[in-house]
Amino acid sequence: MTQSFKTNRRTLIKGAAAGGVLAAAPLVSRFAQAQSSAPIRIGFQQHVTGIGAAYGRWYGRTTDAAVKKINDEGGINGRMIEIIAEDDGTDPKRGAEVVGKFASQHDCDVAFGTLFSHVVYGSAPAAGELKLPYFVVSEGHHVASGALNRYTMQPGITDVKSQVQAMAPYVAENLGKKVTMIFPDFAFGHDHRDYFTAAIEAQGGEVLEHIAIPPTETSFTKYFPKIPRETEVVYHVMVGPAVLTFVKEMGEFFGPSKPAIFGFIDSLEAVDMTSPGLEFLDGTYFWEGMPRYAQADQTEYDKAFRAAVGVDDNGASVSDPRDVSTYAHMFGCWETLHIIKAGMEASDYAGPQDRAKLIEAIEAMTELAESFEHPQGPKLFNGKTHQVFGVQYISKVENGKLVKVHTTSIEDTQYPDEADYTTMAF
Amino acid sequence: MRVRDRTIGVKFWLLWLCWPGSALAHASDQGIVLLLPTGAYISAGVATVVATVLALFVLPERAVRSLFAWRPINPLRLENVQIVTSLLSFVLMGFLVWLGMTGPRDPLSSLMTLGFWTLGWVLVVSLSGLIGNPWAWINPWTGLYRVLGPAPVARLPNLGWWPAIAMMLGFAAFLLADIAPSDPTRLARAVGIYWLVTFAGLLIFGPEWLRRCELGHAILGAYSRLAVFGRAGVGVPGWQIAGRSWGIGAGLFALVLLGAGSFDGINETFWWLARIGVNPLEFPGRSAVVAQNLIGLAAAVLLLIVSFALTLRLGLMLAPSSRGLAQIFGPLALSLLPIALAYHMAHYLTSFLVEIQYVLGALNDPLARGADLLGLAPFRVTTGFFNQIASMRAIWLSQAGLVVLGHVWSVLLAHRMALDLFDGHRRAGLATLPLSLFMIAYTFLGLWLLAAPRGA
Repeated sequence: MTQSFKTNRRTLIKGAAAGGVLAAAPLVSRFAQAQSSAPIRIGFQQHVTGIGAAYGRWYGRTTDAAVKKINDEGGINGRMIEIIAEDDGTDPKRGAEVVGKFASQHDCDVAFGTLFSHVVYGSAPAAGELKLPYFVVSEGHHVASGALNRYTMQPGITDVKSQVQAMAPYVAENLGKKVTMIFPDFAFGHDHRDYFTAAIEAQGGEVLEHIAIPPTETSFTKYFPKIPRETEVVYHVMVGPAVLTFVKEMGEFFGPSKPAIFGFIDSLEAVDMTSPGLEFLDGTYFWEGMPRYAQADQTEYDKAFRAAVGVDDNGASVSDPRDVSTYAHMFGCWETLHIIKAGMEASDYAGPQDRAKLIEAIEAMTELAESFEHPQGPKLFNGKTHQVFGVQYISKVENGKLVKVHTTSIEDTQYPDEADYTTMAF
Repeated sequence: MRVRDRTIGVKFWLLWLCWPGSALAHASDQGIVLLLPTGAYISAGVATVVATVLALFVLPERAVRSLFAWRPINPLRLENVQIVTSLLSFVLMGFLVWLGMTGPRDPLSSLMTLGFWTLGWVLVVSLSGLIGNPWAWINPWTGLYRVLGPAPVARLPNLGWWPAIAMMLGFAAFLLADIAPSDPTRLARAVGIYWLVTFAGLLIFGPEWLRRCELGHAILGAYSRLAVFGRAGVGVPGWQIAGRSWGIGAGLFALVLLGAGSFDGINETFWWLARIGVNPLEFPGRSAVVAQNLIGLAAAVLLLIVSFALTLRLGLMLAPSSRGLAQIFGPLALSLLPIALAYHMAHYLTSFLVEIQYVLGALNDPLARGADLLGLAPFRVTTGFFNQIASMRAIWLSQAGLVVLGHVWSVLLAHRMALDLFDGHRRAGLATLPLSLFMIAYTFLGLWLLAAPRGA
């Protein structure tokens, strides 16, 4: 048994191919170093099975594409990246096991890629104990809240608190100030309720009614009459298998004279916007982490990102137009890998002994310009809270496509620091 | 730990819509399924089974008997070829175990995982019910054993079906309650150890060990009784069960297959998750429901056995017979095998449609090192067919059709078995009436499981 076999499909060390690129680039000396250097081993904690599997598949494709790009461009400090993907089953206990394997069995330099928050919570303590830098791509507020540790960072995707908060100015100004919120009655829905209620009040608006739907509900007609007549905006964050039913029944309830409707694309991530029942969404608004459809002002960065991952202008796989990606989130893997590269290069990372230097180098980062490395948009990293902040998008459904109507500022997404990880010892 | 933060990731839950979720073996495309008129489809399916039950009262006895009649064929004697294929299977298994231990860590890139769950548990088990028992050809022991040719050193005590029943329950527990049943290394270890134990048993006790204490033989042997082709004849599915006597052990094994399969569906439903206090929109992971799934599995199997026995008891009250419960239990339990097989196929159909693509990808690049052996690169798996109402309707109706067909066939087969157990067509109909009602209820359960919202 050799370590070299402990790789997977995502092992994209392309010595010969990279050589071809590099021979023509002013990086020949780096390539010479790569020949004698072991690869940088990145443990990819992937939701291959379990409830996160659909995201896991697209996170995998994005990771493959990012690693190929980085390796084709010469790797990190001249060393190729090798991805070791382990399935965590979207399970916190298994997640901790996987992090342990990255550190002790696979000799990984860092771990990355976790999405579901309960898995982050289950795994982060193991990463802290093993002193393994752990880059999550989760959107959870867990990192910025201070609940984790010095080794856990979220530099490639913004957190839900900042996303929700950033929606309020646009909603209040353009859609209305009297809001009714419909959300599933558990912690996820409660977060939206709390964050958005505070944010809209800060904009001079108010939430007229909070309609909490029991998680096991699969029909919603009895809840719609609770929406007050004077409601100007319905804010919905339903999730689960019944979300198409929810949209269809809401459409039937309102008919043609509906209030403004605002939702989070999470409800419909990877779902075809032309799915049955979704016709009703025409004219409604969504938060998007990154616009699924190529926009009129598409950047060259978005174009290159799509091409690399194999996603068309509608956010679907180039090999099957019905196979819709998790476009609003998966850029997080791409950007996180580029942060790891930048951090390793800034700290002159040579091996596990430099892990603390790597963390400090990333903590020192601030502005991240929109670029091929950061195609989602410009960002600001907060070294104290280990959380990145960045622009958010609001799109309107027009003829079954999401058309961007607003880009928030980064300031809209910021809130006072809740933690300072830099004061924690390594 | 703050619970509210813990759950942010749940917003991603919706992706359940389009991906076979837990392990490698479950599917949920429930968003679109919930929009289909499944209530009407379920009613039609149940009505079909009801109509079959009613038709039995009208059909003449000889029609039912001749339905399950069979014609003899000259059996092919291919033992030598089977030695070669079994040896090849042994080599292949060795390769897969090695791959599982040292190859790709991602289960969907690993031929160990995909070979065991997708090709073995889903595909081979399903096919065995259609084309017959392939185990003599593909088991990884008999070839080597025959080449070595040792004589047994001990005689295996007659344990009946109990080892098979115990192993089936153990296997179901692994499938339903292990924290990572698709992990390539974990699976490779389990397969390697199982091979060693079985081969040791074979060396000590001879081929009787395989007949009694080897789960592949037991499962494939049971389902292949439904195949058109048997060792010496050909007939409609079930002819190999009809006209033979079956003991309680064989019947219990069939019920364990059915009960475990049903619970494999039940444990994902909103209904079950509510019973065990899990928010279906916030499934905490397999590690959080280990005990619940084990208890649920045991309870489901036990409940099935008890309710089945009570059903038979009721039938005996309606149509007293010289035979007691112990005599009719085995044959009539075997008549439930079509239901179990049909549900197995229906349950795994959606995940199979995805995983078979990964099998192709892994064959193209078995070591996951960038090879392109079949020229398929760049290989991209799709789940787009779960996003369209037309394809989802076709998939759902295929699943439902299989379930209904399985139940119709079980009703017919049970009646055929009853003709040998009770005197006369009418008494057989009366005696199996409670069983028929039981099967009608089970039709509803099977179809409801396909239509119900799922969250695990």
